[in-house]
Amino acid sequence: MGLAYEIFLLGRRSFLRWARVPGNWLGTLFFPFLQLFIFSQLFKDIIQLPGFEESSYLAYLAPGQIVFAVFLGVSWIGINLLMDYHSGYLDKLRVTPINRLSILFGEMVPLFFTCALMGGVILVTSLVLGARLVTGIPGAIGILVLSGLFAVAWAGTSFVPALLTKNEQAAGTLSLLFFPLAFMSTAFVPVERMPDWLQVVNDWNPISYVIEAERGLMSTGFDAGQVTRALIAIAILFVVTQAATIWAFRRLTTA
Amino acid sequence: MRLPESIRQARYHARVNATPVIEVTDLVKVYKGNTRAVDGVSFSVGEGEFFGFLGPNGAGKTTTIRILATLLRPTSGTARVDGIDVLAHPGEVRKQVGFAMQTVAVDPLATGRENLELIGRLRRVPGPQLQARIDELLVLMKLTESQKKIVGTYSGGMKRRLDLASALLHRPRVLFLDEPTEGLDPQSRNALWEELESVNRSGTTMFLTTHYMEEADRLCKRIAIVDLGKIVVEGTPAALKRTVGNDVVELQLEADDPDELERQRAGVGRMLEGFEPVAELKPSPAGVQLYMANAAATIPELVRRLDGNGVRLGALTMHQPSLDDVFLRYTGKSIREEQATQHFSGWY
Repeated sequence: MGLAYEIFLLGRRSFLRWARVPGNWLGTLFFPFLQLFIFSQLFKDIIQLPGFEESSYLAYLAPGQIVFAVFLGVSWIGINLLMDYHSGYLDKLRVTPINRLSILFGEMVPLFFTCALMGGVILVTSLVLGARLVTGIPGAIGILVLSGLFAVAWAGTSFVPALLTKNEQAAGTLSLLFFPLAFMSTAFVPVERMPDWLQVVNDWNPISYVIEAERGLMSTGFDAGQVTRALIAIAILFVVTQAATIWAFRRLTTA
Repeated sequence: MRLPESIRQARYHARVNATPVIEVTDLVKVYKGNTRAVDGVSFSVGEGEFFGFLGPNGAGKTTTIRILATLLRPTSGTARVDGIDVLAHPGEVRKQVGFAMQTVAVDPLATGRENLELIGRLRRVPGPQLQARIDELLVLMKLTESQKKIVGTYSGGMKRRLDLASALLHRPRVLFLDEPTEGLDPQSRNALWEELESVNRSGTTMFLTTHYMEEADRLCKRIAIVDLGKIVVEGTPAALKRTVGNDVVELQLEADDPDELERQRAGVGRMLEGFEPVAELKPSPAGVQLYMANAAATIPELVRRLDGNGVRLGALTMHQPSLDDVFLRYTGKSIREEQATQHFSGWY
């Protein structure tokens, strides 16, 4: 109860800090917008190749761009806690009689909402541009929940190096792993069109599972197996990154 | 309005209780690389006292205050705040203390009021009480008009005062202040000193660290001079200054030319021959400097002796030895020389 209240208070602060700087959401949306607009035109004819089931390449591209927005929303996120550390604000919170972990969770929990929101903006944009959403509102909520959960899971890749090195520059190093993973995922082409070795790699790519589940919800319909596989991929990521983050946070805040 | 010193002292002693609120015994903190930042420090602070650590940067002041505020674990020794061991029950200690750090820690992307509300709620100050307390502190810290502005737009002094307000929200029994006026202009510093005095008057025990002698002198009723992780000497500022010895009286003489000045100096010397309170007499650029014990009480007699015989007194000023003289006497170096050689950043 006390912990939940503290997370709510500190989470609201994190959320306002994010919302008050337009650069935060503009920067998150810019790149996915770019890919959505330009790639959908540049590679328009790719949709005629076998393996694509969508009506347009834009419809194929959209789920991957939702996940891209989520990644960009958390890629440098560890920097905020580090700024509080360097400014002394973290110490100020540590002198209050609160659970120390609520400081960390107060950073993490809002990410679920801000990233779901950013994913939602990309989703709506792609619908306006002609993509379909066959599962309707429930499917949209499912997409946003998957996006939010993936955001929190991936955020750990920014927190861990930031907290361990206490260096702002490090906050975006590990999270950049998203780029090779995303480019080797089914964000741009279906697995059937990949060379054999990439198909093998793809089996182990958690980002593909998230994208496939979101794509299913958009264009083919609810598939329990697909969604479960995405949830398992996120859960594994979540456990690993959150455990490491909590460890790094304790290391930072235990004198 | 500032009351006469004697009345202020009497009121202070009537309020201060001998029960120790802070008790520190043989505190040691050794950092990685074998730096002994705190090297066996013991002291106690009574309830309602205004106690200060005066010393140069790097003396171990910040380390000590961070141990007391539960941010740092000592290597050995014990520290109790309000009877509670800081190592055994840090959570309980945190409820009793407020801490204004050397680095001003405020959320620059929130308004002044939001900053206070967050800390107040984390400290579980009940809602209606919290709003009233925030209004009260905003008035005390002269921030009422800027409470709805984003803190990033505040001046350094305003941020300091907001930070201090946030440390007072829960009416702490003990307030820790680490270099509270560092980086402030003289005007803001004076204003903050008055605010700190009024916080102390309301019953809060104050523990302050500073390397400004004027600050320790003005605020602290008792100080410990620290250097290289140890307490060098402890006492009231006045008592410490007495240990240095004599007051300094400066006699400015009115003379039209250097020869005349020299004759007047000689005249002063003759007239004060055998006048016991004067321990030493030295020429100064505009007259004579006298070193004497208890100058305030002897000045009337001094002036009578100097009357007549062609001595034309232009001005007479007197000053007591400063805490810098005290520091010099006990450590063999000046605090001023030590300034800015080492600066605390982050936490260890």
